[in-house]
Amino acid sequence: MQISNYLIHEHRECDNFFAKAEELASRKSWEEAEKTFLEFANKTLLHFKKEEEELFPLFEELTGSSDGPTQVMKYEHDQVRGLFGKMAEALQKRDMQSYLSLSESMMILLQQHNMKEEQMLYAMCDRMMPMEKKSEVIERMEALKE
Amino acid sequence: MFQNSGLSLEQAPPISVVFRFFLAGSLFGIFGGVWLMMNGGSALDSSDSAGVVMTHILTLGVMLPFMFGALEQMLPVLGGVVIREPVKTAIRTQYPMLVGTIVLLCALRTSSPEAYLVAAILLSLAIVPISLKILSSLLAVKSHSSSSRGMGLALFNLLLLLFIALRLLAARNGLGGGEYYPELKSAHIAFGLYGWIALLIVSVSFQVIEMFYVAKAYPPALSHYLPPSLVILAIANLIGALHYPPLMPWLEGAMQLALLIYAIYTLERLYRRKRRAPDTTVRFWMLSMLSLSLSMLISIASKIFTPAPELEILNYILYFSFASGVLFAMTYKIVPFLTWFHLSSEGYLDAPMMHEVISPAYGKYHLWIELATILLAILSIFVPALWTLTGASMALSFIWLTIAVGGAWRKYLYTHRHSKRFDMGSFRL
Ligand SMILES: [Fe+2]
Ligand SMILES: [Fe+2]
Repeated sequence: MQISNYLIHEHRECDNFFAKAEELASRKSWEEAEKTFLEFANKTLLHFKKEEEELFPLFEELTGSSDGPTQVMKYEHDQVRGLFGKMAEALQKRDMQSYLSLSESMMILLQQHNMKEEQMLYAMCDRMMPMEKKSEVIERMEALKE
Repeated sequence: MFQNSGLSLEQAPPISVVFRFFLAGSLFGIFGGVWLMMNGGSALDSSDSAGVVMTHILTLGVMLPFMFGALEQMLPVLGGVVIREPVKTAIRTQYPMLVGTIVLLCALRTSSPEAYLVAAILLSLAIVPISLKILSSLLAVKSHSSSSRGMGLALFNLLLLLFIALRLLAARNGLGGGEYYPELKSAHIAFGLYGWIALLIVSVSFQVIEMFYVAKAYPPALSHYLPPSLVILAIANLIGALHYPPLMPWLEGAMQLALLIYAIYTLERLYRRKRRAPDTTVRFWMLSMLSLSLSMLISIASKIFTPAPELEILNYILYFSFASGVLFAMTYKIVPFLTWFHLSSEGYLDAPMMHEVISPAYGKYHLWIELATILLAILSIFVPALWTLTGASMALSFIWLTIAVGGAWRKYLYTHRHSKRFDMGSFRL
């Protein structure tokens, strides 16, 4: 299995939860929105963890650089994490306008981050890593828990 | 190695780079509305100089700066391309473009050879350097998406379009090739409409529809082959113009059929998107794609039946609705996002949220104004007295846009000046 297939699938999964949570919030179904949002946040955070703990170190090893792309990706993860907090707060306050506004920012932020990973970082990993190494990383990522 | 990979913190160009282009395009849009008010139906008559002026207001005045603004913003994300010295490049592009466009409009109206010459020089100076700069950095990128490849092709076609325009100009002024003038002119129009504008929108949408609206990706066969097919057909059409004109309707028909299929796919993707929360930009995209499908249907039908002149004007209006719909949809996403993004990454804790930069209600009003403009334009075909009102409505539509972009820029500058900045540098490692 390719690394990109595995991780891109996770991106799409997160997108689905995101869209569902947003729709629920726009209909003011707050309880369900909270549940789905939590699902979205946890899935995304676990995905970040997989990248930061398993994929990025390997990428840094392969390219011999730790202040390049991975640094940018981690920085963007931090931005997304910051938004999670604000979105949770808006949900708690039942503030639809501010939740929808934040989720709009979240979507673009996350999507452009994903796009850069999918088109550059993952693609580079798949190109540079031997097959058995890829399976090994995927196994290790699979083993990670929230 | 990573210099060109787009993965650097400075990847997002300063906000002024994008906003200055958007603002210029919006202002030309207002002028387009005023021009329509002044000239009435002849502003949509391609055999009248008022009509040729109108077309160039919309393409060179409105579309071109929006294209450059959007490219500067999107290429780092979509293609991993970083444009060096973005502010300088933007300014060096924008001023000759502004002046060149105005001089060209005068030239089209007065047929003054001197004005044509000045316009040709200024517009070449505006378009060629930035296009070559972006193209050369695009060529350095290893893995391309259909989107980034398509945008590169659109830019390449823009250069060809400029070349055809210069050739047309030479023919017009007795510098050879005059016998092909009508064919060259129709190839120029087809090239601009399909090879440049449609190709650009198609390429952008391949990425944006999926990403902004959580929609299913386009079928790879479509996203992979549509952009190069449009390029090949547009170039073949150009060669046909010079060597075998009877081929032209077939080649144009092929492009129109391809775009019709694309529009239907896009509508289906939008309709079945996963993001269901109300969003005016989806409506703008739908309006745009409906207009494109109708316009392409009319174009194809016109090849089989002799079209009534009314139908040609209707087609013009629909194509405008296609291009402007996408333009509005993109602006209402990009402008609030950039304002929020730049301020919050710079560490302003009270950075306005996207909906505070431009409220969703504001965009919704714009949709109504745009719908009114299109409907009025269609009515005006039969009731010419309405053209003035249509022009006013179109001007209002672009005034609305100008206020959106200008207002966002003002909020950005205001926060910059009056808010306290939280130094992230001391907080992070
Ligand atoms: Fe990531
Ligand atoms: Fe990721």
